[in-house]
Amino acid sequence: MTLWDLTQGTSATVSAFAASIEAGYRTRLSELGFHPGESIACVMAPSLGAPKLYRVNNTVYSLDDSIASMIEVA
Amino acid sequence: MPTSSTLPSETASLPRASIALIGSPNSGKSLLFNRLTGLNQKVANFPGITVDISSGKSLADSSTEYLDFPGVYSLQTISGEEKLAVEAFYKAMDADHLDAVICVVDATRLEKGLIFALQVIEACRRYNKPLLIAANMTDVLEQHKMHLDAEGLAGALKVPVLPISGKTGFGLEHIPSAIASATAPTEAYAIAGDIIASDDALIHRQAQQLANMYGPKGDLLINAQTKLDSFFLHSWFGGLSFFVIMYLLFQSIFTWAAPVMDGVETIIQVTADFVLARVPEGMASDFISDALFGGIGAFLVFVPQIFVLTLVVGMLEDSGYLARAAVICHKPLRVFGLTGKSFIPMLSSVACAIPGIYAARTVDSPRKRWLTYLAIPLMPCSARLPVYTLLIAAFIPAQKALGGLVGWQGLAMFGIYVFGIVCALLVTAVVSRSNAELRSDLPFVLEMPPYRLPSWRPLLRNAWNRSKHFVTKAGKIIFIVTVVIWLLGYFPNQGASLGDSWLGTMGQWIEPVFAPFGLDWKYGVAILTSFLAREVFVGTLGTLFGIEGAEENFVSLSQQIQDSGLPIGSGVALLVFFAIALQCVSTLAVLSKETGSWRLPTQLFISYSIFAYVAAFLTFHLVEFLV
Repeated sequence: MTLWDLTQGTSATVSAFAASIEAGYRTRLSELGFHPGESIACVMAPSLGAPKLYRVNNTVYSLDDSIASMIEVA
Repeated sequence: MPTSSTLPSETASLPRASIALIGSPNSGKSLLFNRLTGLNQKVANFPGITVDISSGKSLADSSTEYLDFPGVYSLQTISGEEKLAVEAFYKAMDADHLDAVICVVDATRLEKGLIFALQVIEACRRYNKPLLIAANMTDVLEQHKMHLDAEGLAGALKVPVLPISGKTGFGLEHIPSAIASATAPTEAYAIAGDIIASDDALIHRQAQQLANMYGPKGDLLINAQTKLDSFFLHSWFGGLSFFVIMYLLFQSIFTWAAPVMDGVETIIQVTADFVLARVPEGMASDFISDALFGGIGAFLVFVPQIFVLTLVVGMLEDSGYLARAAVICHKPLRVFGLTGKSFIPMLSSVACAIPGIYAARTVDSPRKRWLTYLAIPLMPCSARLPVYTLLIAAFIPAQKALGGLVGWQGLAMFGIYVFGIVCALLVTAVVSRSNAELRSDLPFVLEMPPYRLPSWRPLLRNAWNRSKHFVTKAGKIIFIVTVVIWLLGYFPNQGASLGDSWLGTMGQWIEPVFAPFGLDWKYGVAILTSFLAREVFVGTLGTLFGIEGAEENFVSLSQQIQDSGLPIGSGVALLVFFAIALQCVSTLAVLSKETGSWRLPTQLFISYSIFAYVAAFLTFHLVEFLV
C-alpha cells in the first residue's frame, strides 16, 4: 500500500520508499517529514486525481500520484 | 537565471555590519526583511517567492545591512534554484564582512522551521558566525492563545531565540541587541556526525522532539486550515469557487482597470496638447507627437492593468489561495506537460507576459519552467486587446445570437481568448511529448500555506513597484524601438508621405509576404511595426488610414477597414496571426534576462512567427471557402 492509496481522513505510517525514488527526493521527503516511522494523515483527497493533501505534524503538503505512490505505508 | 550568486554587498559600499536572513519558504522572512529595511521585497503566501538576494540598510541603524536569501527547505539542495541560493549563502558565510545570521522560523509550524534551523546552527558553528533564531508569526499564536517557550528552546539549542512578528512588528526592536549579544554556536547539536548531510530521519526526530517540548500545542490552526481546504478543494464548491475567483480576476483586469486606463489616456492627451502648443511645428513637434506621445503613450495606457493585476494576484497569493489553485490545476496541466505551479505565471500573462515570466521563477523544476516559458507568449495578453477590439468591430456584425443572450462580437472575443490558451497548451503538449527528458522531472510537492488575511500595505507597494519596474525597464526598450520606427517612417521626406518613407518602401517590399491573406502593404507596415509591441498595430494603421489618434476612434477606423473592402477571411486571419505571433520586444528582452541568453527568445520568435503565418494562411483560405 502506498501513500497515494490513503483515503481522506485516514492515517498510516511510512514504511519505506520505492527503490526507484531518487536519493535527492528521498532526502527532501525525509526533511519534510515523510520518513519511515512517521504517521501521515490524508486530510484531503480531491476528486479527479488531483494531488492529495497530507498532514505531517503541523504542516500540510500536497503530493501528486507520481511521488505519493513511491512512498510505502503500513 | 536570476543573479542569485551575486551578493549585493560586493558591489555596494560596505556597511559596518552585514546580517544574513535565511529561512525555509513561507517562514515570513521577506515580510521581516521589509519591516527591518523599509524596502519593498515582494511578499506572498506562496512558497518560494524570494528568488534573488535582496539587500537593504536597517531602518534602525543605517550602518547595518540585511541580506535576504531565498527560502530553502534544506542546506542540502535538490533543485537548481535552491542550489544557487545555498551556494550564495555559503559564499556569504565565507566572507569576512558577514557579521551574523538570523534564521527565521514559523513559530506556528515550529518543527518544519527547526529542521532547517538545526542545519543553520551547524553551518554557523563551522563558519564561526553568531546566530539568532527569530520565531516569527507570534501574532498568530497570540490570536489563538497558544504559547511558544522561547527561553526553553534557546536553552536546548544553546542559541538565542527571539519571538517576533514580521506582520505586527512585535519584538523587532530587540533584534539589534539580540544580534549584538549573540555568539557563534560552539557545539554540534545532539546528532553525531554530519547533520547537514544527514539523509536519514534523525534530524527530523530531533526537530519533532524540540517542537513537542517547546512549541505551541494543539491542532487549532491546522483544523481551521483543513476546514477551508475542504471547501476550496471540494469536488463541486472547489471548482465553482475557482471559476468565480478567476472571473473576478478577469473582471478586475478588464473592467476595474478601464476607468484608470481612460484617465491615463486623457492625461497623456492633455499633456500632449499642452506640450505641442508650445513647440513650433516641424520635425521636433512631429517627433514629440508621433514617437513620444503616440508610441510611448500607447504603452503607458496598459500600466493600470499591470497595477490591478499585480494587486489582485498578490492578494490571492497572500491569502494562501494560489497554492490551492495550483493543486486544482495540476492534473489538467500535467496532460499538457506542465505542472500546477505553471498556473500562476500563465494567469499573470493574461495581463502581460512580463510579470508572467517573473512569476515563472516559482516553478522549481527547470524543465517545467522552460515549458511554461513556451506557453506564456501565447496567453492572450492585454496588448492584444486593442487589436482584437478593432478587428472584431470591423469584421464581426454587432448582432445578438441565441435569442439575444449573447452578442457575436463578445463570442468572437471569447473565442480568440480561448484560441490563445488552447494554442499555448497544445504547444507545451507537443514539445513535452517530443522529448522524454521534459516529461520526467521533479515531482509535485507543494507546501500548503495557512490561509491569511492579506496585508494591504505591502501588496499596494508591490503593485506600485511592479508598475514602476514595467515603465522603467520595458519603457526604455520601447522608447528606443519607437524612435527607430519613427525615423524610418519620417525620412527621407520629412513625414510628407508615409508611403514614400523608408518604412513605406519596406512595407511595399514585404507586401508579397502578406498578400496570401489578402492584405495590402498598409497592413504589412502595421504588422511590421507591431513587432515592437502589438498595440502599435492600431496606431500605425490609424496613421496609414489618415485618422488622427486612431486608438480613441476604434469605430471609425473599423469603418475605414470595412470600407476598404478587406475580405472577412483576412480579418480572421489577422486575429489568428496576432493570437500566435510573438510581437513584443519587452517579452523577448525579459525572457533573455531570465534564461541568461537570447537562445530561447530567438527560437520562440522565429517558430511563433512561422506558426502564426501558417495558421493565418490556412484560416484565410478556410474562411474564404466557407463564406
